[in-house]
Amino acid sequence: MITYELLMLLRSVPKPELKTILKRTANAIFDKGGFIRKLENLGTREMPYKTSAHGVVYDRASYFLYEFNVPPSSIDKLFDEYGRDIDIIRRRIYKKKEAETFECTLHDELQPPPYRKNVQDLIAEARKLDKPKFKYNTGLDYYPFQK
Amino acid sequence: MIKNKMNIFLRKFTSKIITGNKPTFRACSSDVPQFDMENPFEKEKQECLLCKYNIEVDYKNVKLLSQFQSPYTGRIYGKHITGLCTKQQEIVEKEIVKAQSAGLMATYLKEPCYLKDPRLFDVEKPIRPHRF
Repeated sequence: MITYELLMLLRSVPKPELKTILKRTANAIFDKGGFIRKLENLGTREMPYKTSAHGVVYDRASYFLYEFNVPPSSIDKLFDEYGRDIDIIRRRIYKKKEAETFECTLHDELQPPPYRKNVQDLIAEARKLDKPKFKYNTGLDYYPFQK
Repeated sequence: MIKNKMNIFLRKFTSKIITGNKPTFRACSSDVPQFDMENPFEKEKQECLLCKYNIEVDYKNVKLLSQFQSPYTGRIYGKHITGLCTKQQEIVEKEIVKAQSAGLMATYLKEPCYLKDPRLFDVEKPIRPHRF
């Protein structure tokens, strides 16, 4: 089950109106057969860049974060529905990040080039393109006759 | 450690028995340093800032992300400047793009409220030279 994150920038409106907007957007998720895990208010503030939505230019927005689960097939419909809502200035749906573990490779990257793993791989890859060399099979590491 | 000492002792002991205290040619003298020990001069393993303190990079954490952004152009600093490992740099770049797209973070400048944040790295002293 994929948990999604929906970040919405709403028009800055008085509280009762905001309540109806949030109810409407939340109901859209429930209608798609999903459920909400979290609803977070990230505050009302000036946007980093002004945005034109539905023919109006906004430079101030209320940020809201939903964490929810819906069937993946209905994500497109949900996104489209929010796009037609004139109270929503901007919306983005991302998958919730799961913590992944990996080794820090900085130590290897700070080595001089010939010691780095990726450079060694490159050299090995380039060696494959070398022209085939004739092997004398004499058991000697030099050519015994005059050339 | 104890194993090494035992080895040296055994070598000295056996060499005396075999040669009978007479100087003879041997392939391995007891003076040969032991090279099977680990390198005592090996440098400490370096880790990047985010790996060291185990910091989760998230697109909502704009204060952290904006520290990897140039205040003049709003562009993301390269890993030769930030000093992050390849994987972390990749994550940071992805999260910054996500934050900018979501309208959380500025694209052509660093937001003025973050300008006085402490610096994580010195832009003038990259760990590898600039390519220009």
